[in-house]
Amino acid sequence: MELLMAILAGLLFSTGVYMLLQKQILRIIIGTALLSHGAHLLIITMGKLNRGGPPILSEGVTKYVDPLPQALILTSIVISFGVTSFLLVLAYRAYQKNGTDNMEKLRGNNHE
Amino acid sequence: MSNLAILPILLPLLTGIMLVFINKQKTLVKVITGIMVFVNLAVVSWIGSVVFQEGPLVLEAGDWPAPFGIVIVADQLAMVLVITTNLIAVASAFYAFRSLDEQRERYYFYALFQLLIAGVSGAFLTGDLFNLFVFFEVLLMASYGLIVLGGTKEQLRESLKYILINLFSSILFVTTVAFLYSVVGTVNMAQLAERVADVEQQGILTTIAILLFLVFATKGALFPLYFWLPRSYSAPPTVISALFGALLTKVGVYSILRVFSLIFIYKLEFTHQFFIYMAGFTILFGVIGALSTNNVKLIVAYNIIPAVGFMMAGIGVFSATALAGTIYYLVHDMIIKAALFFLVGTMAAISGTYDLRKMGGLIKHHPLLGWMFFIAALALAGLPPFSGFIGKFLLLKGAVEEDHYGIVAVGLIGSLLILLSIIKIFLNGFWGEARLAPEQEKASENGRLFPVALLLIFTIALGLGAEFFYPGIQGIADSLVDPSIYIDAVIKE
Amino acid sequence: MLHLAVLAPFLAAVLIPFFYKALRKIHTGWFVLPVPLLLFLFLSTYFKDVWRGVHNVYTLDWIPSLGINFSLYIDGLSLFFALLITGIGTLVVLYSIYYLHITEKLGHFYVYLLLFMGAMLGVVLSDNLFILYTFWELTSISSFLLIGYWYYREGSKYGALKSMLITVFGGLSMLGGFLLLYTVTGTPSIREIIERSDLVLNDTAFPWILILILLGAFTKSAQFPFHTWLPDAMEAPTPVSAFLHSATMVKAGLYLVARLSLLFAGNDLFFILVTGFGLLTLCWGSYMAVRQTDLKAILAYSTISQLGMIMAMLGFGTGVAILAAVFHILNHATFKGSLFMVAGIVDHETGTRDIRRLGGLFTFMPITATLAFFGTFSMAGFPLPIFNGFLSKEMFFESSRHFEHASPLVETVAPVLPVLAVLGSIFTFVYSVMLFFRTFAGKQRDTLEKKPHEAPFGMLVSPLILVSLIVIIALLPNFFNERLLAPAVAAINGEHFESHIKFWHGWGNPALYMSLIVLAVGTFLYLIRTKWESFYQILPGKLSAAKSYDAIVNGIFKGSTSLTRAYMTGSIRSYMAYILVFFIILISVTMTVTDGFAMSLEDLAPLAVPEFSIAVIMAAAAIGTVLMKNRIAAILVLGIVGYGLSLLFVFFRAPDLALTQLIVETVTVALFLLCFYHLPDLKKEYQSARKKVVNLVISVSVGVIVTLVAISSHSTKLFEPISDYFIENSYELGGGDNIVNVILVDFRGLDTMLEILVLGLAAIGIYSMIKLKGKKGENE
Repeated sequence: MELLMAILAGLLFSTGVYMLLQKQILRIIIGTALLSHGAHLLIITMGKLNRGGPPILSEGVTKYVDPLPQALILTSIVISFGVTSFLLVLAYRAYQKNGTDNMEKLRGNNHE
Repeated sequence: MSNLAILPILLPLLTGIMLVFINKQKTLVKVITGIMVFVNLAVVSWIGSVVFQEGPLVLEAGDWPAPFGIVIVADQLAMVLVITTNLIAVASAFYAFRSLDEQRERYYFYALFQLLIAGVSGAFLTGDLFNLFVFFEVLLMASYGLIVLGGTKEQLRESLKYILINLFSSILFVTTVAFLYSVVGTVNMAQLAERVADVEQQGILTTIAILLFLVFATKGALFPLYFWLPRSYSAPPTVISALFGALLTKVGVYSILRVFSLIFIYKLEFTHQFFIYMAGFTILFGVIGALSTNNVKLIVAYNIIPAVGFMMAGIGVFSATALAGTIYYLVHDMIIKAALFFLVGTMAAISGTYDLRKMGGLIKHHPLLGWMFFIAALALAGLPPFSGFIGKFLLLKGAVEEDHYGIVAVGLIGSLLILLSIIKIFLNGFWGEARLAPEQEKASENGRLFPVALLLIFTIALGLGAEFFYPGIQGIADSLVDPSIYIDAVIKE
Repeated sequence: MLHLAVLAPFLAAVLIPFFYKALRKIHTGWFVLPVPLLLFLFLSTYFKDVWRGVHNVYTLDWIPSLGINFSLYIDGLSLFFALLITGIGTLVVLYSIYYLHITEKLGHFYVYLLLFMGAMLGVVLSDNLFILYTFWELTSISSFLLIGYWYYREGSKYGALKSMLITVFGGLSMLGGFLLLYTVTGTPSIREIIERSDLVLNDTAFPWILILILLGAFTKSAQFPFHTWLPDAMEAPTPVSAFLHSATMVKAGLYLVARLSLLFAGNDLFFILVTGFGLLTLCWGSYMAVRQTDLKAILAYSTISQLGMIMAMLGFGTGVAILAAVFHILNHATFKGSLFMVAGIVDHETGTRDIRRLGGLFTFMPITATLAFFGTFSMAGFPLPIFNGFLSKEMFFESSRHFEHASPLVETVAPVLPVLAVLGSIFTFVYSVMLFFRTFAGKQRDTLEKKPHEAPFGMLVSPLILVSLIVIIALLPNFFNERLLAPAVAAINGEHFESHIKFWHGWGNPALYMSLIVLAVGTFLYLIRTKWESFYQILPGKLSAAKSYDAIVNGIFKGSTSLTRAYMTGSIRSYMAYILVFFIILISVTMTVTDGFAMSLEDLAPLAVPEFSIAVIMAAAAIGTVLMKNRIAAILVLGIVGYGLSLLFVFFRAPDLALTQLIVETVTVALFLLCFYHLPDLKKEYQSARKKVVNLVISVSVGVIVTLVAISSHSTKLFEPISDYFIENSYELGGGDNIVNVILVDFRGLDTMLEILVLGLAAIGIYSMIKLKGKKGENE
């Protein structure tokens, strides 16, 4: 299972990176979202998968899955949510102001 | 006593939050900012003196013992950087009072500014790798807010690139923390150090180390990862550029310094040797960038890069002398970069352009500005007796002692080119035929020079008064080459 | 006390601006004049110690922990230079009072001049390598400021930058050499280093030490091919040229070589480099001087050539050569100092320094002309007992012929040396004579802006004193030899050198014939100069050092610009691509080199159908986002990936995660839709096939690497994770059943608090971004 997840995460990274290399802001942002999904998937995979019950103390359960990665992912999810929202609004404003959503046209290299 | 360690984070954090709520009271915001930057500086200096006398202060947040809870470790290295950060904060606050437009002030500049300081201080102080990631996000989020503040075309354009690259490296950061956790089973830095030492950094660990290096090197703007820096740092108003230039990349360098002096020090012949090459290319490409433009702010922004290269060289050489050089240079560079950004910002404010080709003869009516710039330029190039010389001297001496002649040569050539790139501004901006309209000539500097003077005093003090500062810095470097000091301070058996 | 002497000019420099501001009516120079004069007198008191062989060392701590201490050392050599600096300094300040009009920015001028004087004293008195370096760079900086004194002139800017770049370049390489010396010997004290010379000579880094330090000396002392900054430095006011660029600063390099002679002497490489570059500079400088038409340019090239000659003598290293070198330093200061002042007077009184326009000035300014006569003929080495230049020139010829303890290498090159010495001196003779006759003899060639007349008396005093010295030294050479020169020679050589300077050595003296050859051929060449002047078209032609300098500096700027523009494209795609390629290469190399890959198939969770199906769907959706052409579809497909992830979390026993992921995903998708409602629809991306392939290769490689590192990390679990602590203590200490929650709010509460802060910051950022729509005017 871990191998499968590692491969899936790798695929998420691949597609994310591919999107990052595109021109349109929308695609790029989708890319970053894919990347964070991949990262979160990796974190949980790095703990041992499915060895024990969910990390909620209950009677009769002696083994639990590693709770720490879950906590880290939670923090990370919230943070990437914040960043993504910011980025979305920024993209919107940049489009409004510059009149294009094509990053190749946003080089701004007048070489002053 | 150890509760003190959180104050450098808590004070600006609470101030920042308070400023959000009283944002409407413009004067009050400024007054509070003005008072709090001094209070912060005083408090951190006091904590610093405690730390220097009595050793590191370790705060276990929520009283959870290390390595299980998060620890805040106020050791000498962290405190030196925190104090410098707060010094920059004082200068920046006063520069902002004089230079920032009302619009930007109203949209939470001072709150974001305080929170940025909180984030930077936290990054220096935390003893937990994941918590470092979180502090990175705090300071980055604050920097995102600052870099777009005002929403000019250029700002929006450049901040998109800035945020995207930082976002990518942040994602890489979490991923790497996960890998590390899988192998070593902890995120506490002291325990990481202990455990990595136990297994002598075997197998995949070096790869993970290099991944972490990549993350920090992207934030720290090393070759070939600095592309985002020059333009995004020159897009926002000067005071924001100065804050970024002085603080943000240094957090990256600090993280490399910390991680590669504490944790991953068992494959030096691979990792640190590689750092020396990185340092060399960073110095050269950075200064080449600085020579390539006539935009004064961009010249200063590019000059951040070779400085990072110098610091990296010291980490690569990894002797007590060279590390002392890195730390000295780190402090020096934070100060001098802020000063230079303020200076070119003032030049541009007077002449209404950033284009050097349109400036000239400024020294006639602005001699003070000119001579301050001249001193700053010499300090930047590392000429004695200013602060840059001491750092460079230590770095080069360390490199010579360890037979790394190549980086010495690059360092010396780099210094000359840095001088050329910055003296060009003096030569064409301050000397030469006056190009300005008479009313521009007479424009006053609006007291913007006070913060610069403050910073320059420290530059001179760090140079002439090196005997006062250097032994402490050398002490830090000595303790860096012996990680057990840090480990023992954090993990009490 | 000696420290005070070095620091006095700096202190004075601090006070001068106040005098300048407060007492505008009085020429600021008068306030400056006492400084060098008193220093001169004070330093003279060290004679008695030096004569007795007592060498004083004074140390003032600066950075003792780094071995950088302000230690001063005064022996014959330092005293000689220190007196030269303060003595000529006094005369130059006096001269400048008449030369610079009271309306000039005198405050600046004298501040720079005093800075220089202090720095120069520091150079010659320092015993500590790094203090010497500090003062050395300070002389470069003050020279920069003095050359750029008339900062609004393009020429001044150009000359200032050039001199600074070249001398700082030398200074930095010298610093490199000093660091090596320090590391090899373990001491920064020059005296102690010399005592440990065998350590240095036997070190493998020795050639580097030598070359790096000589680079410093050669650049400062304007040796070929670094001499090119000196002619451009003539943009400085003439008193500065007389002081820095002929009498003192340019001799710092000579001082350094002399000071370290004991360390290097007898080494073949040292001999070859110093003698070779010295003679080359002598010949090239004098050859080029003949071609110049500007008085100051002639003097500049002449200075270069004379510096080369002295350098060569230091390279010879014999007793008589060292004596000749020191003697010539003194003589050069007298005649070249006076000539610069004369050139300044001519410029001042006629408005031009172009010898093509000058001529016949003898009738208008006879005193100046007389002074010039002594200066030029002493410089030419004219064989009369009233020209000190002749005495040292003859000693130079003499020393070029004899080498004690010569190694085979020295023996081989020895025969060429006298020939080069004579050759260089012939041209020296030509330009000296030319300088005098074309300026002062003959008829006036051009109408000048000003009607020429004799200079005011005050302006003549300084050159008059120098010219008197020319004659006095020539007549009483041994008076100076015993008191001033011999101690200096002893300091350089390490032993007393018994000598007696004479004008006449008898007919059997070969040096006499060398002098006579110079006289005869020189006169001949001067008379037929129009016949061979066209030779200059061929040499230097394009090979001149000045052109090389321009080419290098322009090359640096142009090269930097084109290189930087080539990769700083401003395109986020290229930046990301660079970063990713670096990532791919670096990580794969690291993994290979450090043998990081590991894969263990043991202890894995079994593969189950539901997870597998979800994974397949997510993979398909992820690829789908790439292929979608419609923005809504792309966003929704992205949503599928997110919801798939939250389902996976459910299967992986992470209920909280699943819930959070679900909510966040929903909100994000909503936000996406909201925002992109306003953005244009996805367009077909027009990327070339090559770019697409590159993108594909990069992204696949990144994915593969991430997967490999993940598998390796998972397969090398070396330690038990710390999480057992959380499981054990969650209830007892944290008071909660849900361990993840307890970690979040308690064990790692700080993270959570900061995470909320990040959200808050994002909210502020978004708010101000939407509200503050950037007014046109930047505040800057």
